[in-house]
Amino acid sequence: MGERVSTSEKFDRSVTVAREYLIAIAFVAIVTALGLAIEPLIGHVPVALLYLLLVVALGMKLGRGPVLLVAVSSGLVWDFFFIPTRFSLHIVDIEDLMMLAMFFIVAMAMGHLTSRLRSSEMAERQRQRRTTALYELVHQAGLAPDLDAGLRAAISLTEKLFGVRASLLLSLPDHSLTAESHPASSFPLDEKEYEVAAWAFSHRQPAGKFTDNRPESVAMHLPLQADKDVMGVLSILPPPGTTFDFAERELLEAFALLIGTILEKDHLLQGFKHAEILEASERLERALLQSVSHELKTPLSAVRVGIDALAKEIVHSERIQTTLHEIHQALRRLHRVINNLLDMTRIESGVIHPKLDWCDTGELIQAAIDLAADGVRGNPITIEINKNLPIVKVDQALLEQCLCNLLLNAASNSQPGAKIIVRARVVHGQLILSVIDQGKGIPEADLSRIFEPFQRGVDAPAGGTGLGLAIVDGFVRAQGGRVAATNRLPRGAELTITIPVETLQADVLENLA
Amino acid sequence: MTEKPTALVIDDEPQIRKLLRILLEQEHYRALESDSGRHGLSEVALRRPDVVLLDLGLPDIDGLAVLERLREWSKVPVLVLSVRDGPEDKVSALDAGADDYVTKPFAATELLARLRAIQRRASVGAEEVRFEAGHLSIDFSSHTVTVDGHEVKLTATEYALLKLLALHAGKVVTQKQLLREVWGPNAEKQSQYLRVYMMHLRKKIETPEGPDRLLRTEPGIGYRLVIPPQKS
Repeated sequence: MGERVSTSEKFDRSVTVAREYLIAIAFVAIVTALGLAIEPLIGHVPVALLYLLLVVALGMKLGRGPVLLVAVSSGLVWDFFFIPTRFSLHIVDIEDLMMLAMFFIVAMAMGHLTSRLRSSEMAERQRQRRTTALYELVHQAGLAPDLDAGLRAAISLTEKLFGVRASLLLSLPDHSLTAESHPASSFPLDEKEYEVAAWAFSHRQPAGKFTDNRPESVAMHLPLQADKDVMGVLSILPPPGTTFDFAERELLEAFALLIGTILEKDHLLQGFKHAEILEASERLERALLQSVSHELKTPLSAVRVGIDALAKEIVHSERIQTTLHEIHQALRRLHRVINNLLDMTRIESGVIHPKLDWCDTGELIQAAIDLAADGVRGNPITIEINKNLPIVKVDQALLEQCLCNLLLNAASNSQPGAKIIVRARVVHGQLILSVIDQGKGIPEADLSRIFEPFQRGVDAPAGGTGLGLAIVDGFVRAQGGRVAATNRLPRGAELTITIPVETLQADVLENLA
Repeated sequence: MTEKPTALVIDDEPQIRKLLRILLEQEHYRALESDSGRHGLSEVALRRPDVVLLDLGLPDIDGLAVLERLREWSKVPVLVLSVRDGPEDKVSALDAGADDYVTKPFAATELLARLRAIQRRASVGAEEVRFEAGHLSIDFSSHTVTVDGHEVKLTATEYALLKLLALHAGKVVTQKQLLREVWGPNAEKQSQYLRVYMMHLRKKIETPEGPDRLLRTEPGIGYRLVIPPQKS
């Protein structure tokens, strides 16, 4: 398919109708002159054949109107110059009259047939030109090694094919239009034209010259519509005085569509590669975390099993039992610290992906209290929860850990015996969990930063890594929620988790299952 | 008294194996050790232990694969011991055929309670008629449930749920299994049913906020009916 659609053919096509009529008249004149020259040798009848030949020949080249003009004018000129009586339209011989009538019929029929032949041949050529052009675009732009080379090829192909200058504006990742044209563009868009291009981009419709939208512009702007998004705008600046016929308009729009698709393909490919890299690094982080976790927890397990086994052997000595109990407590604390550090690492390396499932909030609170049991033994916990609370879709394990950390935090800020309240509500599709203590409250200066890692209150009691609340923040954020701290009057602090949730009223299900 | 039960420990950490052996022997188990998946599998075939303690991070074959191969020909109760503590790790071990799961580091009492539960489950016959745990008692022949001696009316679904948990008492039952056996195979993903019915069941059989809560949730995994320690 080496054939190129050349620019000279393009100019052939734009020969105006007026020129065709002039050509028609000129040829009739030439044949008439020729006929006058040879008429003395052959007689007046064969001259008609010359005219018929002319009709057929021009039928191959000219449009239907000019050809019919040739047919009619040849008949009249033949009658005027050749049929006796010469130099008048008057005909004396009945035979000549019949000849003239026949001539008209034959010339008209021939003219009609050849011009039909020509127009179907032209349509075929146009189809082929269109196919070739699109093929070239796919070949040069779509299969280019990189996007930039592809776009350069697309611009230069557009310019060559349509005899215009072209400019390309691409869409940015945030779905807005770039301010700068692609470097390969061959004309700059001034402010007014840019505005029209932006209109075409946002309305997903062609705009500017030759269109219904802002036709006073000098350039035509076609949105690069891909499957879902508009990937940019192709602007073309035709030389003054040019017009585009329907087929060319259609071809231009097909170009815009194809360039849009090429851009989208590249876009998807980039996204895919990015996701692949992300996944690989996440896998690595996970493996690393798993191995660190194994190395830390294995010796911890050995100590734990060892102490438990020891405690069973030596039952008689209270001193030894007390010692073992203290080691046990220390071990528990170490375990908690290790878990906190691992959780914090998980949060910071972004490998937390919440698994949402239906959850009964009452059950969740109870489980969190169980989890925090050793740490909150000194403080009675009151649960305030509406009996008709719907079940909610959350990651229960993560949320349980969050609530447990809030309870431990509350207990460490409370005097022994002081009450801790856990309150749960669902308001406007948000699950709100608060833990309220009756401690000293949080200094104003710390309110905004207690959820940052390693931030410990100035007079926080001993123990704790300063990670507990940061983990709450990380886990809650991973579920699209937020956590906040406020002080209460006359005393105490309230830490509140708010998470957007899907809810289901329990009684809706009663009749289903 | 019958012969001592045999427990096989499959773990690549020698320290853990040694200490578990001591702990198990204290509890009158005969302990066997194995340091790899392949060796562990052949030990199960040769020595026919009564219970297996399996670590997931083995040097030769992954613990999950060991489980799957084991389940092709053996029903021996398996307790998985692992540092992997995500719910998805636990569910995949349970789906692969583990009877229960304990995360490292663990308390000896917890480990021994789980061991007893999975062994009991393995030896329970179909002819069991009564079940008792704390203040709860179930008579399977007459379908009656009593709490502190008072009969409690349960719906058919609630009863089916409770019965399933009681038959696996002390052992975790996955959400998938509960849904499949109580609501049928098409309901495996309908966890909302389970939540609502467990909510009702709890209200009926648990004394509010008592420390002796029987039905425990294992988030992301399933439920466990806990047998309270016997008060002597």
